[in-house]
Amino acid sequence: MRAAADPVLVGSPTDGELSDRLLAPVWRAGGPGWKILFLVTFAGTLMLGFLVSYTVVEGIGLWGNNIPAAWAFAIINFVWWIGIGHAGTFISAILFLFEQKWRTSINRFSEAMTLFAVMQAGLFPLLHLGRPWFFYWLFPYPDTMEVWPQVKSALPWDAAAVSTYFTVSLLFWYLGLLPDLAGVRDRAPGKVRRVIYGIFALGWRGSVRAWRHYRVAYLILAGLATPLVLSVHSVVSSDFAIGVVPGWHSTIFPPYFVAGAIFSGFAMVITLAIPARAALGLHGVITERHLDNLAKMTLVTGLAVSYGYICEYFISWYSGDPFELYQYWVARPTGPGSVVFYLMILGNVIVPQFLWSKRIRRNAKWLFIASILINVGMWSERFVIIVMSLEREYLVSKWHDYAPTWVDLGILTGTLCFFLFLFLLFLRFVPFISASEMKELAHELKEEEKAANA
Amino acid sequence: MRDGFLAELADRHALIAAASHMRALGYRQLDAFSPYPIIELEEAMGIRRSWLPWLILAGGIAGAATAYFFQWFLVAVLYPLNVGGRPAHMPAAFVPITFEMGVLFASFAAFFGALFFSRLPRLWDPVSDVDTFDRASLDGLWLRVGGDDPKFSAARTAQELRDVGALAVRRVGGRA
Repeated sequence: MRAAADPVLVGSPTDGELSDRLLAPVWRAGGPGWKILFLVTFAGTLMLGFLVSYTVVEGIGLWGNNIPAAWAFAIINFVWWIGIGHAGTFISAILFLFEQKWRTSINRFSEAMTLFAVMQAGLFPLLHLGRPWFFYWLFPYPDTMEVWPQVKSALPWDAAAVSTYFTVSLLFWYLGLLPDLAGVRDRAPGKVRRVIYGIFALGWRGSVRAWRHYRVAYLILAGLATPLVLSVHSVVSSDFAIGVVPGWHSTIFPPYFVAGAIFSGFAMVITLAIPARAALGLHGVITERHLDNLAKMTLVTGLAVSYGYICEYFISWYSGDPFELYQYWVARPTGPGSVVFYLMILGNVIVPQFLWSKRIRRNAKWLFIASILINVGMWSERFVIIVMSLEREYLVSKWHDYAPTWVDLGILTGTLCFFLFLFLLFLRFVPFISASEMKELAHELKEEEKAANA
Repeated sequence: MRDGFLAELADRHALIAAASHMRALGYRQLDAFSPYPIIELEEAMGIRRSWLPWLILAGGIAGAATAYFFQWFLVAVLYPLNVGGRPAHMPAAFVPITFEMGVLFASFAAFFGALFFSRLPRLWDPVSDVDTFDRASLDGLWLRVGGDDPKFSAARTAQELRDVGALAVRRVGGRA
């Protein structure tokens, strides 16, 4: 049988062993590697705090964006981060509905990745408002001027989509966490830990009456999160597709953005999973089969992204529109910053092709390098779409080249550090592999084996 | 079900067998605790399907309907803005927010409904005081018989639990 040769779970651990192995990181002190990374990312988070404060006090003139490229790093980073989140929801919701057994050991940390990525994403539109203290103007509230948000615009759609996405992801994640928080409450040494985890576990005891509602709620939340995977980035893409800028005005944008989002998200899951499993010695639960499957998903979505590029180029040529032709065939490959365009092609079109090879898919080192290049490629894609289109709009007199400032680069680096900082805290304080689901899986596998032998 | 007995079982098959046996004997105040969901156990104990889905549906419909109404009220009644002669009431443009709010409120209904029906949060329960019951969230499987069950009798119930294979039988709460 294939499952025996290529396991999703190595060995047949008992429930007690699984609990100890998967819950123990919560009360074991972090190693030296964890501490160094923690300090580095904490310093980066402080820098982010400083740069955000600087931007709020001085205004967004500190950034490189100006007319015509009014949307630059802020929106690139927003789209990039929110895209990364999509793989987490894909793994936790869609693969759950399809009953993919290999998702079990990676779903919780992928979902944590979603939450942390959306937190970074949310920062950018907020700061890009210029006067972030008026953010509540996005919401319909009765004010004395009797001015209301224009809900026919794509921007309020975006606010609704992103905040819904974050909230639903959080509820789904927390509900799945309850049985494991209860496990930590009952197993962790020390009264303080037991009290704190006990409060977060909300008194979960694993009663059959609670499980029956839990199962239904979890299943339906998975069903509700599934259309969000497809809708959030579609709405984000309408921010562009509804505009008339050459390079934006395209009907392929929603599916192409969704494919790109899942593509970059799977790359980020690989980027995080490989070092985490090496550092924490989890080769038995995150096996080569998981890496292989993640790489296959990356390859498939990467091909969808490449198809999106082909379509864009074909339509620009087929339309005969001189502005579209100029944008796609001259500005992007030969215009200012064209190196970013080639980085995009390298990361999103060429690198995924190496994943056809089974040897590379199962080699943690090469896969890690590929995932980094894909992350860079997807960031470049957003740069190409946003900045290059705005730099070369219709009127030649409006053409202007864009360059980021050190504040732009600092904030991007800062969000990377903040993201990793949150992820490190998560690895240390939350059971990052679902122990209760792993036990269920171990029993299922045992039953299957029994049925196969009978 | 504040008092009664807790019986520890060896594995899931023993727990399912014990639960259906006790039910066949006429006990109705039964509950079981396990570290992971066991669907066969729900069937053995005669627990019907959760009706949480209906609450979730209601939450979703209420969210979507409210969102649509609000959007129409804002841009068609309170603050109509003529952009290029497009109609004030524009259903296609209302789709994304209507959909998102439907999903959001359905999710609230799912999460808070599941907690409410499971009677959570409840940080303390009489079973928490039973020695070694804390293994229920790790690898322990327990069956509980409530002291308010009409069939309940301190001596006989404990014996019946031992007869169906309980490794240990412990008392919950004050009397019994």
